[in-house]
Amino acid sequence: MSAAPLEAEGLVLRAGGSSRGRVLFAGLGLRVVAGQRWVLVGPNGAGKSSLLAALAGIFPVAAGSLRLGGVELAAWPPAALAERRAWSPQFWSDPFPATVRETAALALGREAGWRALLDEHVDADVERVLDRLLLADLAGSDVRALSGGERQRVAIATALLQGAPLLLLDEPASHLDLAHQRLLVDVLLDHAAAGGSMVASLHDLNLAWDLASHVVLLDGAGHALAGPRDEVLVADRLGTVFGVAIHALALNGAARFVVGPGGPASVREFRR
Amino acid sequence: MRAARVIVAAAAIAVLACGLGVLAGSSGFGVASGEILWTIRVPRVLAGFGAGAALALAGALMQLLTRNALADPYVLGVAGGAAAGALGAMLVAGAGGAQLSEWGVAAGAALGAAAASALLFGLLWRRLSSTALAPAGEGATALLLVGVMIGAGCSAIVSLILTLADEGQLRGMVFWLLGDLNGASHWEIVWLALGVALLVVWPRARELDWLARGDAWAATLGVAVARRRRAVLLAAALATGAAVATAGAIGFVGLVVPHALRRLGVRAAPLLLPASAIAGGAFVVAVDAIARTIVAPLQLPVGVLAAAIGVPTFIAMLLQRPVQAR
Repeated sequence: MSAAPLEAEGLVLRAGGSSRGRVLFAGLGLRVVAGQRWVLVGPNGAGKSSLLAALAGIFPVAAGSLRLGGVELAAWPPAALAERRAWSPQFWSDPFPATVRETAALALGREAGWRALLDEHVDADVERVLDRLLLADLAGSDVRALSGGERQRVAIATALLQGAPLLLLDEPASHLDLAHQRLLVDVLLDHAAAGGSMVASLHDLNLAWDLASHVVLLDGAGHALAGPRDEVLVADRLGTVFGVAIHALALNGAARFVVGPGGPASVREFRR
Repeated sequence: MRAARVIVAAAAIAVLACGLGVLAGSSGFGVASGEILWTIRVPRVLAGFGAGAALALAGALMQLLTRNALADPYVLGVAGGAAAGALGAMLVAGAGGAQLSEWGVAAGAALGAAAASALLFGLLWRRLSSTALAPAGEGATALLLVGVMIGAGCSAIVSLILTLADEGQLRGMVFWLLGDLNGASHWEIVWLALGVALLVVWPRARELDWLARGDAWAATLGVAVARRRRAVLLAAALATGAAVATAGAIGFVGLVVPHALRRLGVRAAPLLLPASAIAGGAFVVAVDAIARTIVAPLQLPVGVLAAAIGVPTFIAMLLQRPVQAR
């Protein structure tokens, strides 16, 4: 199934989803279609997680509209929505023992009854996804014994195995080492190339550059800028938003962002 | 297949335990006369099985709902309410000079359980209805705290009743509090409650595994979070109240049976819930059969022996190497 377009128009979110919360950002418009990779960047507390949850349909919208496949998100039957988009939270609760394989397959075969759970047949899809995320050796381990990065990869496996073409991932690169960050980018690029789409929040600007086709920059002061990657990920603008000096270097045709000493270039002054 | 093997084994043990329970008696071991068999032993086995099954089911539900492996049916405070109600009924009847029938005690317990449940739901209704994106642990913590507070209040009432009761009543009260199947012959109510509770939670049991991972995530999979949490809480309160009214506050079953099953590989809720009921029932029936024969003609309270057998077994399980899947 190819990803249905996800559209936001005049979107306003408030902190905590309550009408008294501060405005996280106002007037955000975007359209995510099959093949696109949208990355959310911005300082802590700017509303990246809230935006992802709102796109998933589980966070109250203060104003504006959200549509999936042309239909208001709230009008979708919840089970049909689960077929079309998968949301992966930043934090997971693992209160009871469960293997990596069981956890990855949690959202697979959602309508299956207890019979399906009785025969622990090895599902080809599960094994393929675990293998792709380099989790095959850990398939039988307890998720509670994993390192942070390993648990993060299991969360990505769970999201992929839900079978939805649109992925909404909250900080999927957290705790991942450099090699596994590249693996994540490759897996998500493949997913988009196969007709899927995704929105993910990231803190690493270089990773964002490599993954994104489009970027939403939230400045934490009520503004949101959405557009093609090259137009949004601009060093000066990023420096102002994050309050640090950011320089862009060109490396084999890709932009690499480095953080310099001192404040943002635009505001840095030598006072004598 | 591991889970399937464990469930089949639990069912086989349940059949054996019930056979043992029917054959064993304070008058010796063997096939009893028709009257003893049908008016004493069979109802007692049925009551014990129903109470054990309901407690283990409620324990599994509370653990899933609170995302806490240490939760048991008694964290709800419902059992405390039942105890206060049962002992209150004994006290009132004793003051009137009457010896209360078993029905009267059970009615008092049921009334107390219902009152505590109503209080629990009244205090938690709005919290249980709040939107899905509350921080993962918050709702569960509130549920635990409210339940523990209701339980603490009820245990104060129980202490007060024990202080006021005269010597003659005290023995019956203490036995009731320990969990006692002696004279338990009304098994219909607890089986009915068990059936209703299973009917409410089992068809959508998979959603409980999702809820345990996070309310918001479960919501994205199409779970009606608030409605499901309320239904599960109601089922757990019903099962606990009926079990405690039937057999007293038998400890240990509700905490340990789901935990032991998980360690044996029965982890998915659609399997864990019925398996808990079967294993919990089998455990109480088997322990009760031993409790009333081991020092016959004296009958030990089943709760005492349940702990005496269960505690070392469980500690041994915990100290073993963690069970790996496959």
